[in-house]
Formats: sequence, structure tokens, C-alpha cells
Amino acid sequence: MSLLAAIRKLWHSIAPRTHSDVEEEFRSTLNAYQEDLIRQGLPEEEARRKARIELGQPAAQNETYRRAIGLRLFDELGGDIRYGLRGLRRNPGFAAVAVLSLALGIGATTAMFSLIYAVLLHPFPYADADRITYLFGFNEKHPDGFTFVTLSKAQFDDLRLAGPVDSMLGFNPTGMQITGGAFPEEIAGTYLTENAGTFFGVRPLLGRNIEPSDAENGGHSVVVLNYRFWQRHFGGDPQVIGRTLEINHAPYTIIGVMPRSFAFNDLADVADVYLPFSLAPTISVYVPWIKLRPHVTPAAANAALEPIARELAKQHPERFQEHWHLALKPILWTFQENIGHTLKLLLAGVVLLLIIGCANCSILLLARGRTRRHELAIRSAIGASRWRIIRQLLVEAIVISCTGAVLGVAASYWLAKLPMVLSPDSFPAESFIRINAPILAFSIALALLCGMLFGLVPALRLSRRDSGHMLPGRQTGVVASPAKRRWSVLIAAQVALTLLLMATAGTAIRSFLWLMRTPLGYDPANVMRLGIRPHGDDPFDLGHRQSRETTVAYIEQIREKIASVPGVSTVAVGVDAMPPFVSSGAQSFEIDGTRDHEQPEARVMLVDQRYFATLRISLLQGRIWNADENNRGDFIAVVNHAFAMRYLSSSSALGRQLRIPGLISRNRYQVASAQSTAWRQIIGVVGDARNDGLDHPVAPAIYLPYTTLVRPYAQFFVRTQGDPLAYLQSIRGAVASVASGQTLSNSSFNGTLTLNEAIARDAQYSSQRLFSVLFSVFSAIALALALVGIFSLVAYSVAQRTTEFGVRLALGAPRKHVLWVAARIALVSATAGIVMGLAVDSFLGAVLAHWMQNAFAAGSLFAAAALLALSALLACLLPARHAIAVSPTEALRYE
Amino acid sequence: MTKPVELPQGTLEMLILKAVSLGPLHGYGILLRIQQISGERLEILQGSFYTAIYRVERRGWIKGAWGESENNRRARFYSLTTAGTRQLKAETAKWTDMAAVVAAILDKKADKI
Repeated sequence: MSLLAAIRKLWHSIAPRTHSDVEEEFRSTLNAYQEDLIRQGLPEEEARRKARIELGQPAAQNETYRRAIGLRLFDELGGDIRYGLRGLRRNPGFAAVAVLSLALGIGATTAMFSLIYAVLLHPFPYADADRITYLFGFNEKHPDGFTFVTLSKAQFDDLRLAGPVDSMLGFNPTGMQITGGAFPEEIAGTYLTENAGTFFGVRPLLGRNIEPSDAENGGHSVVVLNYRFWQRHFGGDPQVIGRTLEINHAPYTIIGVMPRSFAFNDLADVADVYLPFSLAPTISVYVPWIKLRPHVTPAAANAALEPIARELAKQHPERFQEHWHLALKPILWTFQENIGHTLKLLLAGVVLLLIIGCANCSILLLARGRTRRHELAIRSAIGASRWRIIRQLLVEAIVISCTGAVLGVAASYWLAKLPMVLSPDSFPAESFIRINAPILAFSIALALLCGMLFGLVPALRLSRRDSGHMLPGRQTGVVASPAKRRWSVLIAAQVALTLLLMATAGTAIRSFLWLMRTPLGYDPANVMRLGIRPHGDDPFDLGHRQSRETTVAYIEQIREKIASVPGVSTVAVGVDAMPPFVSSGAQSFEIDGTRDHEQPEARVMLVDQRYFATLRISLLQGRIWNADENNRGDFIAVVNHAFAMRYLSSSSALGRQLRIPGLISRNRYQVASAQSTAWRQIIGVVGDARNDGLDHPVAPAIYLPYTTLVRPYAQFFVRTQGDPLAYLQSIRGAVASVASGQTLSNSSFNGTLTLNEAIARDAQYSSQRLFSVLFSVFSAIALALALVGIFSLVAYSVAQRTTEFGVRLALGAPRKHVLWVAARIALVSATAGIVMGLAVDSFLGAVLAHWMQNAFAAGSLFAAAALLALSALLACLLPARHAIAVSPTEALRYE
Repeated sequence: MTKPVELPQGTLEMLILKAVSLGPLHGYGILLRIQQISGERLEILQGSFYTAIYRVERRGWIKGAWGESENNRRARFYSLTTAGTRQLKAETAKWTDMAAVVAAILDKKADKI
């Protein structure tokens, strides 16, 4: 059945008979009665008159019908709504301000709810995402230090049988190359166990997902594409299924494309392609995602996993030491931890905004209501009940709020994207913000609630019976009208809340500025990072690992080629040494002579001698190593200032000895130099460059030649003249000229990134910027709303009291005094609001300081208060000026 | 002519059902028939009469269909539905019971209590 037919059917069940049907029946009755009367002897004219008098108008009959079948309320509400809309059209200024106040409030609240829904409540497209967990390992001595646990095939299969486990997905992210084209392209691949399709429960956009049958015969050569990769590489071609993609020189058949919301796995690196795990090299480990059975809490599951943890520890004592445990964490956890507070604070902000918007509407309705008293008094005098009048006023308020909601939802579509744009890395890649059914329901509920909220106060006030005495005269008379307490309370509350928002914004901006002004210790302008995997053209050929010398020579060769590109100033090598947050963790070391530090720790940074000049990190004492020392890698070290202050404060740093016992090759991927763990002499001290994020002090760091522990990847830091990304194409050519298969890395950990962009992506930086911008927007809107509220209140009351001002002026009152009388109430309430706001702010200061990681600054609070006071004064005085412009004769003419 | 009678609340609906149960009638015909059966003792206001008809139709006790009236005019004829038949039966029983009880009470003489 079509929608139209359904509506018609519903309508038919509400009102089964049409207007004309009822009228025709009535006419036939009328005629029959009339004929009867004529038969009884009345003249025709008389009979028609009598029939009409007794039966009434045919046109009115339909109303009788609708009343009889209980549609009266329906009709009256329709009338109220029409009347409300007409009222809005007649008063466009009032309508625009009222609707906009609400649209802003509802729009911002809906946007924030969409964000919360997308990020906290439903960020992942996976089936039963709330039951999917990561497997962590932690040492009970350091319960905060979690590490992801990887499993061998046997361990994976064991764990799958554990009681609380419903199903398990194993995956392994690997760098791959697309070959067969003009240039090889590096991509991120992920092997997925063949139950991926059912585990995720996500319907592919095209084709199918990986299925258990793909594991047959050692794995079918099939590949599923990520949405973004499909867009980038195939231009979103819908005919892609069945085509062949050459990866690492082998052909794979494309069997599916995942939808845009599927961005597995954002904690590691979102993969470009997904392959069956059976195709993975046999040594590959499994990173597990564990889906728990329904109603099993992670805590209960942890307890059940404990025997398995013990078993693992027994089998692999070298990896799983003593005091070692397994823990499960929901995949949502990392984001809830990072972003939950931020969103709660923003939600609090928008709720304040909504309240301010509602208060504004209340003020406007009250102010307008004063001019409507006459109308309401007439309604009441001709028999409208109080309930009837309240209902009409409420319906009008709801008409305003629903109009506001429609605009607000439209605005929120755009507003919800703002935080994602400002702070892209804080949100899961999968959360795709959209206005969906629950959010729409939320907005509608919000709109109705707002309508009730801001409509009820004026409705109760205006429907009072005593307004009946207003009927005789239209003018309020000379005397000032009584009781404006409600207005004052609303204005004061509005001003107080606005001040709260402004002070929060001030604090956010201040801490952001503070963050921006912190010295970095390096110069990020015009520097970018490039990553490579120096394995020639087959990154999987781990069996044929090159010697340390060959790899170093290869890296140096590429470095020289990049340096020879015109426009490139300097090029340095560094491994995981990207400021402002250096990913290499702290390592323990020993220092000669001193024993007063228990377990000294420092970040070990593997770089070459040009790193310091390229990043413009200053040399404080001694020297940097030379090219020969760089090639050898051993016996020397450079430390940063923080290191010298912390561990070498007693004497000069230069010439002291340190050794790092952990600097050994732990697996076949790394090669250490001959004497990597031997004593090293400190030959230089450099200035502190940020290495622990922007908000933390610089951690002690040891810089070593990168050749002392060669990893299967390296990064170059390239300083150029002007925008570094502009040189990318020529640098690609230079790299390919060394080895045709050599590509630049695309991965987010290793790939191309300017140093400025790395700062912008810093969690602290982006969340502070988010706070500053959003709260500035919120408080600007709140300020505008509050000022509009004050302005319209004063303007209405001046218009109301024209006569009074005329009389005052005629009797010789000074203009200043009249101005004061006109603006008094608004000024007093605004002042009360500011005082209240200051009190609330100092009370809330502690709470907010905890959330914003920064104390409420008295300075920004008073600056906000002063700004608010000044604008409130203006908003009072502008309309109040009209009071003294009243001409006494003009005003009194109507008395 | 005997004294006119006023109807208690809700009785008009029952009378409409009764009138229609004797054969399909248009609205004005129902009115005439009720008045005729009552021996012209019932004074029925035309306004409230149609409200009652609409209400009874809305409840599904009678249903209307267009047809030709005795003097060849189009008119809407109402007939009793099954639900209407049931309703009339129930109402009649209720009414008779109540009338009997009330009459019995009113009949009692002081010496018989």
C-alpha cells in the first residue's frame, strides 16, 4: 500500500464521512421537513424559515458532525496552530529572534548529541561492537603499562575455546606494495582470519567479505578493498569486483568493497586491503579481537582468562614474565577515555546555550504578551476557560520551538562536523557523523520540551483571571505596571549563564595560547618526515636480510639523492624520532660513578648527526658526532638538557660514561652494531626539544647514531625552502632512481607528514583548540542571545510606558532620570546576573579546572564580566533612549 | 393531547436503534417514526437529534447508505448493523430491568415495608 493510500485510510478512520456527504444529507432532511410543514398548511416562505430556524445552517452541520464524533479538540488545535503561524508572520522581527534563539540552542545540542552518539554510543559498525574486546597484557607491578598481546596460531586456537569467548578474530597488519603499474605503490594490508565476514557482521558495499571457504587450499588469492582505497585507487568504480589487483608481484582477485564506515583498524593503521589469513607468511602472529558471550563482563572474562595467561607464561617465559596478566578492554575504551570528558564538557556547554535560548524566548513571549493582554482579556470575557487560553499560548510556543527545531536540525548537520574537522585524530575513524533516527527523535523531544518550558511561564502569567480588568481601556494608563519579577529573574539567569560560558571560553583560549607559546626547542617550519622500508622491492623477504652495513649504505644513498633535489636544504635520518611526541619508549641505562638514581630511564633516540641541524635543535656543550662515528655507531652519545639536569647535575656532563643494556637486537628484524651495549662517552649536550607531547615537560633523552640498531624502516627529516610537500614528486623520483622498487611509505606512523601537521595532531593541542573554538562560538551565541533578550525587554517596556514617560517629562523630570527609570529593571537584573555568575563561576571553578586541566583564571573571568557588563549596558541604553525622545504632547494626546 | 415527556440522558440513542430496527430509514424518517410511536408525546430537538445519529453511526451500530426516498429524493438511509442489534438487545434488557426495579420501589406502600 502506498503512503498516500495509508494516510487516506487513516484519515477515513478518523473522519469517515466527507464534508459534502454530511451537507447533502442535511439538505435532504431540510427539504423533507420543509415539505412536511407545507403539507401541514404553512405557506412555502414560512415553512422554509421555520425549517431553517429549527435545523440551523447547512454549513454549520459539518461542525456538529465533527463534534459528535469527537474531533473537536483536533479542530481546535489545528486552529491554534494556524493562529500561531499567522501571529509569527504578523510579527516577523519577534518571530525571527525567537526562532533563531531556539534554532541555535537546538542545533548545537543536536549536533553535540550526534557526536556523542557517533563517538560514545555507537562508533563502530560491527555487530555487537559492545562485546568486542582487545587483549592486553600487563605487569601487576606496573598496572598502568598496557601492551597489546599477539598470539601464535596454537595460542589463538586455545583461547578461542575459552568459556567466555563467543568468537575471535585474528588479524595482522602488514605493509604491502601494489606492483604491475608504472610505479610501485606502498599500501597497508591486513590479514584477517576467514571468519571475518560473520565476526564483523558488516554488509559489504559491493561483492562479499572474506569467508571461511577462502581458507581452502592454503588460501584463495582474493582481496577485499577498503572504501577509501577503492575511491583513491579505483576512483570508486562499481565494476571493480572480479578484477585483478597485483600485490607484491602476485595477482589477487577483488571480491568485495567495504562500506565507508568500515575502517578496520583505526588503533593500528586503517588498512587499504584485506586478505585471508591463510595467505600470510607462516611466522605471522595473530592480533586478537575477542567477542565475549552476551552478559559476560570484561572483569569476569579476565578472571576466566587467568589460567590461560598462566599457561602462556609457562610456555613462553621469555615473553610473558612473572606478575604478568591478561586483561580485556572494550574496543570503545580508548576513545571513551580520551574523548569522553571533552564531549561531556561540550554537552554541558550546549545545554547552557539551550537554556539561554529558552529563557530568551520566554522573555520575548512575556514582553509580547503584555501587548496581547487586550486580546486575551476579550477571549476570557467571551467565555474562554483558563485552560483554553493556556493551551493556545502553549501551542504558539510549540509552533515557535518546532520551527526552531527544523532550522536547528538543518544547522546541526553542519555543526556536528566542526569538532571532527578541528580535532580529527581524537575520534574513531569509523565514526561517521550523521543525523539518524535516534537523533531526530532527540531533537523533536527537545523541541517539544523547550516549547513547554519557555511557553509555560508566560502562559500561566498571562492567563490569570485578573487580566479581565484590563478590558475597559486599551492603554495601561499612567502608572507603571506592577511585578516584573519574572523578567528580572529570567534576565539575571541568562546573564549568569552567559558569564559562565564566557569565562569557560576565556580559560580555554588562555590555555590554548599558553600551549602555543611554549617553546618547542626545535623549528618545525618547512620540515617534513618521509618514511621508507629499505628492503629493496620485497618487504617480505626477511630471510634475505641485508647486513647492517649494506642497509646503512642504502639509507645513506637515498639520503644523498633526496639532498640533491633542488630546493632541499638538509636531510637527516631518524628512527621513530618525530617530535613533539616521540614514540620510542623510555629505556633504562647505567651511568658511571653515581648510584643515587634507582633505575634511571631515558628516551633513546636513534638519529644521524644532521638531525640536530635539520630540526634546529641548539647545541649547548661539546660537539655532535661526525660521519665516521655515525657509521660505527658505538662508544659515543649526546644527551639533552633535561637529561643533564636530572642525572648529571653534580658535575660537567661531557666525558661522562653511560651504557644502555637493552640496546640489543631482539629479533631478526633488527641488527645491532658490534658494541651497542658497551660504555659510551657523552660528547655533547643539546637543548630540550619536545619529545613527550606539548603539555608535558621534556623527558630526559639520549641521542645515539641510528646505525647502532638498524631497524627494517627509517625516516628522513627533510628541510626545504618553502612548503615541503611541494617537493614530494621530485623526491619520489629521486628515491626511485636508487632502486626502482623503492617507495615512500604511506602508513600513518611512518608516512609523509610535515612537522607542523604533527603538532596540529597532538592530542593536547587539538583538544585545546577544539575547546577554544567551540566555547568561543558558544559564548558568542550566548552573549548575542542575552543582549537580544535585554534589548527587547527594555524596548517593549519603553513602548508600553510611552504615556508614563510623557507625563514624567511634562512634569519636568530630568532626562537622565527618565532614562534611568526606563533602563532600571534590566540594568539591575543584568548586574544581579553578573554577580550571580561570578559566584557560580568561583564555585564551579574547581570542577571545571579538573575537566579542563587548567584553573579558572581570575583575569579572564573579570575580563568576561567587564565585557558582558558593557554590552548589557549598551543593550539597555539603546532602546531606553526612545523613552526620552517621547514628546509629552504626543504622548498625552491619547489620554 | 397528553403531556410531552423529556428524555433522560443517553435514551435517544436507544430509541434511534429501535426505530431503525423496524426497517431502514433516513434521518428525518427516524425522527418522525420515534415521534409517531410515542404518540407525539416526545419533543425531540432537531439539533441534538442529528448529533445522536452521528454518534450512533460513529460507534458502528447503524450504517448509512444513499438511496431514493418515498418522494424520489436522494436520502441517506440508515440500517441496523449486527453490533447495533446486539446493542439494542442489551439496552432494552437493561432498561426494562431498571424500569421494573424503580417502579417496584415507587409502588411500595409504607405499611408493606
